[in-house]
Amino acid sequence: MTPLRILIFIVASALLLPFVLPWPYDMIDWDHVRSPPFTGDHWFGTDSVGRDLFARTMAGTRVTLAVAVAAALVALVIGTAWGAIAGWVGGKTDEVMMRIVDALYALPFMFVVILLMVVFGRSILLVFLGIGAVEWLTMARVVRGQVLQLRNRPFVLAAQAAGAPPTAILRRHILPNVAGVALAYLMLTVPQVVMVESFLSFLGLGVQEPLTSLGILVKEGADDMDMAPLALLLPGGVLVTALVCMTLTGEKLRDRYLA
Amino acid sequence: MSLYCAENLSVSINGTQLVKGLSFSIDPGACLALVGESGSGKSLTCLAPFGLSGPQASGSVRFDGTEICGLDERDLRSIRAQRAGFVFQQPLSALTPHLKIGAQLTEAFCQAGAAKPDRRVLKEQLARVGLADGDAILDQYPHRLSGGQRQRVMISAAIAHRPKLLVADEPTTALDASLRRGILDLLDALRREEGLAVLLVSHDLASVRDHADHVVVMRDGEAVEQGAVQTLLQAPRAAYTRELIAASLTLDTPRPALATPGAPLLVAEQIKVSFPRPGWTRGRIKAVDGVDLIIHEGESVALVGESGSGKSTLGRAIARLGPCDAGRVVSAGAELPPTAAMKSAQRRTIQPVFQDPQASLDPLWRVRDSIAEPLKYLSPELDAEPLVRAALAAVDLPESFLDRLPRSLSGGQAQRVAIARALVSEPKMLLLDEATSALDALVASQVLGLLQKLQRERKLAMLVITHDLALARQLCHRIVVLEQGRVVEHGVSDAVITAPAHPVTQRLVEASR
Repeated sequence: MTPLRILIFIVASALLLPFVLPWPYDMIDWDHVRSPPFTGDHWFGTDSVGRDLFARTMAGTRVTLAVAVAAALVALVIGTAWGAIAGWVGGKTDEVMMRIVDALYALPFMFVVILLMVVFGRSILLVFLGIGAVEWLTMARVVRGQVLQLRNRPFVLAAQAAGAPPTAILRRHILPNVAGVALAYLMLTVPQVVMVESFLSFLGLGVQEPLTSLGILVKEGADDMDMAPLALLLPGGVLVTALVCMTLTGEKLRDRYLA
Repeated sequence: MSLYCAENLSVSINGTQLVKGLSFSIDPGACLALVGESGSGKSLTCLAPFGLSGPQASGSVRFDGTEICGLDERDLRSIRAQRAGFVFQQPLSALTPHLKIGAQLTEAFCQAGAAKPDRRVLKEQLARVGLADGDAILDQYPHRLSGGQRQRVMISAAIAHRPKLLVADEPTTALDASLRRGILDLLDALRREEGLAVLLVSHDLASVRDHADHVVVMRDGEAVEQGAVQTLLQAPRAAYTRELIAASLTLDTPRPALATPGAPLLVAEQIKVSFPRPGWTRGRIKAVDGVDLIIHEGESVALVGESGSGKSTLGRAIARLGPCDAGRVVSAGAELPPTAAMKSAQRRTIQPVFQDPQASLDPLWRVRDSIAEPLKYLSPELDAEPLVRAALAAVDLPESFLDRLPRSLSGGQAQRVAIARALVSEPKMLLLDEATSALDALVASQVLGLLQKLQRERKLAMLVITHDLALARQLCHRIVVLEQGRVVEHGVSDAVITAPAHPVTQRLVEASR
C-alpha cells in the first residue's frame, strides 16, 4: 500500500531527522537570510529571519501530526463512548443523545473553536481539546450505527442467554467488534483535524512562535510568495502529500471493515 | 433441437476452476435443475455464460442458435434483454425499493425494446403469474408485498418480454414452505402454457422432484451425476446423490424413537408480546396474543407457523431473551422475572441455538472461548477446560477446532459449535430457533441426527421453532401451530400431520408432501 508507506516515511522523517540535521528549527543563520534551496547546508533554504526551512518543516509536521493524533484520539474516546451508549441503551436515551449530536452538528464548529481560542487564549492543549470536541460527532454516529447492527446479532442474544451482564456484553462483544470500524474512521478524522489545525494556525490562532506547524509555515510562505515561492510550496507539498496519504489509507481501512 | 446447450462449460477465477467441464442441454418447455450444496458452483454455471458473474465462462454454450460463450457485454446485454429472463433468491433486494411495482414492470418491458405498456397490459402481466389483484399491486411499493407476491412480481418482470429461457437461481429458498410449492407450480404452468424453458438452481433434491425433467447433481464444480429426474431419484448411481436423497426429509421418513417425557419443566401462561407500529402510526402490533404452553422434561415441542406468525417472538419471550408484555413463565419450579431483571443463575435451564450459525458466534472469539462463555457466568466455580472439550466431543467435532475462529468454520461446523455452547452448562432445555433451516440439506440432516442423539441420551427438552413439518415430526412429540400470535392447533405430532384441522396446518402439511 503505497500511501501508507509514504505516510510512514513522512512521520519517520519528522520524528527522527531533527536529531541529525545540522540546524535546529529555531536557530538563526545570520549569514543566510531568505536564501534559496540548497545554499550551504539548508536543503529547503531559509526563511525571512534566516531559520532553516527544512528543519522548520519537519518540526511543523511533528506539531501538526501531534495535534491531529491527539485530537483524533479525543474524538475517538468521546465518540465511541457516546455512540456505544446511545446504541446499546436505545429508546429514549438514544433519541436524546443523538438529538444532542444533531444540534451540535448544526453549530458552525470553526466559529466555536475560534471563539474558544479567543476567550481562553492560545494554548496547544486547547487546540487538542477544541478540535477533538467537535470531531467526535461523526464518530458517535458511526459507532452508534455499528452497535445497533451488532446488538441484534444472535451472538449477543446467546451471550445474554449465557447470563453475561450488559456491561460485559458491551465490553467483550460489542466494543471489540466496533473497534475496526472506529479505527478506520480515526484514520479519516486525522486528516480533517490536520486541516482544521492548519487553518487555525493560518489565521494566527494555533501554536506560538518559535514553535511552528505546517499551517504557520504555509501562512509565512504565502506572505512571501512573490519573493520565494518555494517557501510556500515545500511545506504545502508535505501537508498535501500527508493529507492525501492519510485519507487514502483511511478509506482503504474503512472499505475493509464496512464491506 | 435443444434451446440451450452447454458443452464442456468451465468457469475459473484467478486460475482456480470453480466449474469443471459441464455439459447439458435444455429443450424448449423443459426444466433442468442444477442441484448441489452451497459452493458447488451451481449459480456460476447458470449466470457466467450470460456475463452476470465476475468470472468468465469458457467452453461452448449455444443458446437459441447463438454461441454466447465469449460474446462481448453489448451482445450479451441484448440477449439478456430479449431472450432470457432471470429470477434471484432474495425477492426484496432484487426489486428497487423506491419504485412502485407498476414502474418496475414498465421498465422490464422497455428494457426489452417493447413499447411502453399501458395499465391493462401490466395487469395481464400480473395475471400471468397468478396475481389476480393487479390494480392494487401495481401501485404498491415492494416492501408492502409478501415474500411470495414479491417473487411472483419478479417472475412477471423476468418473463415480461416473453423470453425463451428463464434462469431461476434458488427462487424459493428464501420463502416459506407453503409459498415454495406455489412458485414452483407457477413455473410449471408457464412451461406448459407458454413453452418457456427453465434452468432452475436448487440445493434440495426433493423440492425439484415434481418440477424438473432433468437434474444435474453438482459437487465442487463437477457434475456428479445427471439424467432424467425419475430414473435419477429412483436409482441413483453416485454415492453423493444417494446421500442427498437420504438427507431430504419427507413426512413419511421413518423416525427414531423419542425420549419419554417426565414431569412438567416449563409452564408458560397467557404470554403476550406486542411491538409499536413502525413509522408514525400509533398503536401496537400484537405479535403473540395470549399463548399457553407446557413442556415436560425430555419432551420436544415444535412451534410451527408461517413467517410472521410470532413463533420466534414467543420462543424468545419464554426464554426471557426478548420482550414480553404479560403472562408468566414458571421454569423448574420458579417463576422467571422479566428479561431485564433476569439473574445469571435463572438462565441455567434454557439455552438457545439460532438460525444463522455464523452470526451466532462472535467473529473475534475463538471456538474455545465461545463455548466457555456460559460457564463463566452460569457456573463460575467449575473448571471450564474439560467441560468445553466434552461439549465439543458431544457435537462430534475434533479438539483441533478449539482454537479456530468462526470465519474458518463451515455453516454446519459453526452450528455444531453453537450447539456445544448451548450444551456446555448442562441446561434442561434447548430453544432451537430454525436451527437447521440456514443449512444445506445434507448438513441439516446431520445436525438433525445430532439433535436426535442429544435428546435421546441427555433427555433434553426442546422447543423447536420451525416452518418445516417434516423436521418437526422427526424431532418432536407435540406440534403447536401458530397463526397471528395465537395457537390455532396443537396435538401429538403424527395426529396433527395425518389429520390437520386448521387451514394453516393443512397448507403446511400440503407444502411438505
